[in-house]
Amino acid sequence: MARLIRTEKEVEGRFEEVWIVVEEDPLEQWPEGPLEVVGRPAPRKDGPERVRGEARYTADLRLPGMLQAAVLRSPHAHAKVRRIDLAPALALPGVRAAIGPGEAHGLEEEAGFAGAAVAAVAADTFAQARAAVKAIDVEWEELEVVLDPDDAVKREQLTAEPRTYERGDVDKAFADADVVVEGTYRTQTVLHNSMETHQAICEWQGDTLHVYISTQFIWGIRQAVAQTLDLPEDKVRVVCEFMGGGFGSKNGPDEYTFVAAELAKRTGRPVRCALTRREENTSAGNRNATIQRLRAGARGDGTIVAFEGEFRNSVGWSGWNASTEGPMRMLYDCENVRSVTYGAKLNTPPMKAFRAPGFVEGTFGLECLVDELAAKLDVDPLELRRRNYAASNEGTPFSSKNLEDCYRMAEPHWERRHEVRSRSDAVWKRGVGMASQIWYGGGGPPSYAWVRLGSDGRATVITAMQDIGTGTRTAMAQIAAEELGIPLEHVDVALGDSARGPYASISAGSSTLPSMGPAVRAAAADAREQVEDIAEQRGLPADTPLQEIVAVLEESQILGKGARGPNPTGMSVLTFGVHVVEVAVDVETGEVNVERVAAIHDVGRIVNPLGASSQVEGGVIQGIGHTLSEERLLDPESGRILTTSLDSYRMPTIADVPEIICEFVDRPDEHLTNLGSKGLGEPPIVPIAAAIANAIRDATGAEVHELPISREEMLRALREAEERAREKEKRGAPAAV
Amino acid sequence: MELLRPSSLEELDGGLLLHGGTEVVPLLREGLLETERLVDVRGVVPRGVDGAVIGAGTTLAELEVEPAIPDALREACRLAASPQLRSMGSLGGNLLQATRCWYWRLGYDCRLHGGDRCHARDGEHREHAIFANEFCASAHPSDVAAALVALGARVRTNQRELAVEELYRLPDEGNRSTTTLESGELLLEIELPPAGASVYLKAMDRKRWAFPQVGVAVARHEDGSPRIALAGVAPIPWRIEGVDDLDAATPLPRTEWKVPLARALVRRALAALA
Amino acid sequence: MSALRLTVNGGEHVLDVPVGTSLAQILRDELGLTGTKIACNEGHCGACTVQIDGVPQLSCITLAHAVEGEVTTIEGLREHPLVEAFVRADAVQCGYCTPGQVVSAAALVAANPQPTREEIRHAMAGNICRCGTYPKIEEAILSWQG
Repeated sequence: MARLIRTEKEVEGRFEEVWIVVEEDPLEQWPEGPLEVVGRPAPRKDGPERVRGEARYTADLRLPGMLQAAVLRSPHAHAKVRRIDLAPALALPGVRAAIGPGEAHGLEEEAGFAGAAVAAVAADTFAQARAAVKAIDVEWEELEVVLDPDDAVKREQLTAEPRTYERGDVDKAFADADVVVEGTYRTQTVLHNSMETHQAICEWQGDTLHVYISTQFIWGIRQAVAQTLDLPEDKVRVVCEFMGGGFGSKNGPDEYTFVAAELAKRTGRPVRCALTRREENTSAGNRNATIQRLRAGARGDGTIVAFEGEFRNSVGWSGWNASTEGPMRMLYDCENVRSVTYGAKLNTPPMKAFRAPGFVEGTFGLECLVDELAAKLDVDPLELRRRNYAASNEGTPFSSKNLEDCYRMAEPHWERRHEVRSRSDAVWKRGVGMASQIWYGGGGPPSYAWVRLGSDGRATVITAMQDIGTGTRTAMAQIAAEELGIPLEHVDVALGDSARGPYASISAGSSTLPSMGPAVRAAAADAREQVEDIAEQRGLPADTPLQEIVAVLEESQILGKGARGPNPTGMSVLTFGVHVVEVAVDVETGEVNVERVAAIHDVGRIVNPLGASSQVEGGVIQGIGHTLSEERLLDPESGRILTTSLDSYRMPTIADVPEIICEFVDRPDEHLTNLGSKGLGEPPIVPIAAAIANAIRDATGAEVHELPISREEMLRALREAEERAREKEKRGAPAAV
Repeated sequence: MELLRPSSLEELDGGLLLHGGTEVVPLLREGLLETERLVDVRGVVPRGVDGAVIGAGTTLAELEVEPAIPDALREACRLAASPQLRSMGSLGGNLLQATRCWYWRLGYDCRLHGGDRCHARDGEHREHAIFANEFCASAHPSDVAAALVALGARVRTNQRELAVEELYRLPDEGNRSTTTLESGELLLEIELPPAGASVYLKAMDRKRWAFPQVGVAVARHEDGSPRIALAGVAPIPWRIEGVDDLDAATPLPRTEWKVPLARALVRRALAALA
Repeated sequence: MSALRLTVNGGEHVLDVPVGTSLAQILRDELGLTGTKIACNEGHCGACTVQIDGVPQLSCITLAHAVEGEVTTIEGLREHPLVEAFVRADAVQCGYCTPGQVVSAAALVAANPQPTREEIRHAMAGNICRCGTYPKIEEAILSWQG
């Protein structure tokens, strides 16, 4: 029965209260452990198409008569268009249309960052469009540029009111604490750099707009485009069958979508608007830089009594103030916590969600600080984390939390530290570090799926969702196959088109599997029950194989439908984990080798252990990039981005990859849906930076407080550690006689 | 634009010379190079190793597995760029590659582009030079150049013969070029003098596919003396006599870290040859 | 416009395109071979890797008119055992870089059928994968012969 509820919806750590219609979720969860199909490793259903280069991404689509768009972007970090003349562009060969500020959503007169979109041209070829964009005559009025987050906070130039949080009596707790540690941690701006750049092709057919787009959220695009263009949602069709990575940057439509739609309208032809790699690095979003001033207090027995944090997020021209303070509030059982989080509005490109936004940055600061506390208390870092284990989320029970099991599973890896350290020599110092992980990832309603079953015993799961490369098709097929009791090879998944299936959740916030998986299971169960009815009417025994039961149906089909049920009320649905990292540091050259990462995660039931290990490895590797080599740089004078190409913005290569061991608690969350699964896309990137920094301290005594840990930062920290040691030796040395 | 493919040196007549294209093609596309005439010189530049003579058209990929060349050169080739770039890029092209300075690559009106200031000096310069950085703070990115300078290699062009070291000059007010190459001049062959052991050490921010933060080439010459050349520390490949010369470095605020790094690598390289 | 003769995956093509057009553009836009991806279009990422006479090269910075030799794209390697090895090892996530990875790997194993991990890392370092499938790529290449 349909049920209307008011519920809290969470995506990427942001909550909103929404009304939704949910259906009951009457299915009992499957038992723990590997089943027939679910819980067993499965290669990707769409693996062959992708590997063979047959999968068609938005970038590969060629619609008849399609034009190419190019976008004029502001060279200034802050400026206003005083006058713009599109005529010189329109006069060039191949040019079909040109639009300026205000003529498409996202083309604006005031450019708040270098790379902001101002005007656009459609031409027969991209080269022609690009040449035409260069010919547009613009007179700029340059405005004051603010690039420094501290400066912005001082001027109260913020994207939103500062967010404050307080529990307990923090001042008293610090006054009573036996040990207090404090530190300032900085994280850099990093870029998503999905391999397929942001792009869309728009085509009008009658009054319907067809949008082919590289996106993480088909239905979000449909809704946002309809709203912005004032169209009924049914008049917007969104297609994304394959997409080349998003990592949070492709959750909504941006200027390129609206530029393509407007130019398509004006020319009567399909128009592609695709960002170049350079534009991807200036205009497609980023993980914002942070400054974190943190303090922790503890009793001599290792009980953490107080946390305090001041967080400054360099949000940029737009974006939201992510929860950098989240881990400090939630990871430990600490009675007294106070934080304030500023979102600095700067003349820099906008922040966009990037794989666990806020928590990646906040966990670096917090988990480094906790290790410094452990050192000062002389308590083993793993033991300190166990002693301050949070049994609830500020009083709200967890739907499930098996972080204790993660810690137990971490022990053998943690035990290696004595042996690892002993392999140090005069140049290469080795050490082991750890960090814990907390993040969301429970997903939520609504999401719907259909299952179509033919007389050949083959099933198709139909839902208008996207597979962003996380193995969605495969996991959904596994769930349907399990419920129907048929082989995985007999299940196909049709997705990627808003016109060809029901509403599906966003693929962000680690929500794809926990949001859609239960709906697919419910749809398969609905189909299975119909098959059972047929078996009964045919007088077949209950254990008759499905294929035999449906064999008489000929052209008839069985259609099952399913919906995602509600999340458990009054409970916090969160994911947990711990990383144990081994590093070697060349103390003369500052080279850091991450040698081994043990990543242990608690995300409920694992549907596909093979795909899950790929998710973990991917998160760890992206996190290693964030930790060691990636940084977006700006010219401090003009605010222009300097690292616009992949030779200067350095993501890890295969040669940078350590040995990665993936382990899962793999225990269904008994309160969460008919599946008991949480998401895994984001958790593995959360703790890795802190674990590396803590391993570096263990190896060398050097305290790194800044990401990335470049050679410059590493050599600085080593020099500082050396001076500290010398100072200590001097003080500790007996007086001269 | 036209593409000419001469088969003899005599046919050369102006235009922009192109070999592997790994540098020229992207620069053309970005508008940092302009031409109406591209000249594919693969038909006229020698390729392959013949004793101590290496054709300037030999690719880095061919050289990284070539047992007959000195260790420093082989290692410099092996650690340069990416596998695909090494299989496209020629030895000659590598020697003539432009700086990686982001201001230059983004077309800022900097001194190398004929402007009147070095944007990196006042701006973002953490990957830049620690020597000779007053006029232009760019850092020379060629691993191979440092190796060849240390090895004392000579280069033959279609116009003259000179030491590889003499191929480079510091840019100044009157001449913004970092090479001594004349218009229409084409590198043909590299000749290696007899040398003893040699070594190339490279600090990168990735384990592979990165330009040198600091590259150190050291070769022991016939008289037993080591010759040291550095990549990534000056606008051109940079010679020093010994580790103490690093005391004379003039780093910018954010390139100070390169000095101890270079010191460590030079010591290590010398020790490796000892 | 300038005439151009190309051999791609064993087939001859005669085209007339402007000088300056990249091989990647020809493959994708003229020949419909969209398995070759363009991700940076300036020679930094390896997504556009093709083989020319068996040697992996970057088609996005290769001028079509300067191509000497036979071009092999992912479409010409679809029956290579590496394809099955990549699928089996789950060496694919979003898949956008994957055809380029297979093209590089095919050149590696042709020259060195049993590469070590170190050799794989050296030969594959020019193919960037933002999803981080690297460990699985390594496994796929180690086990490519089944």
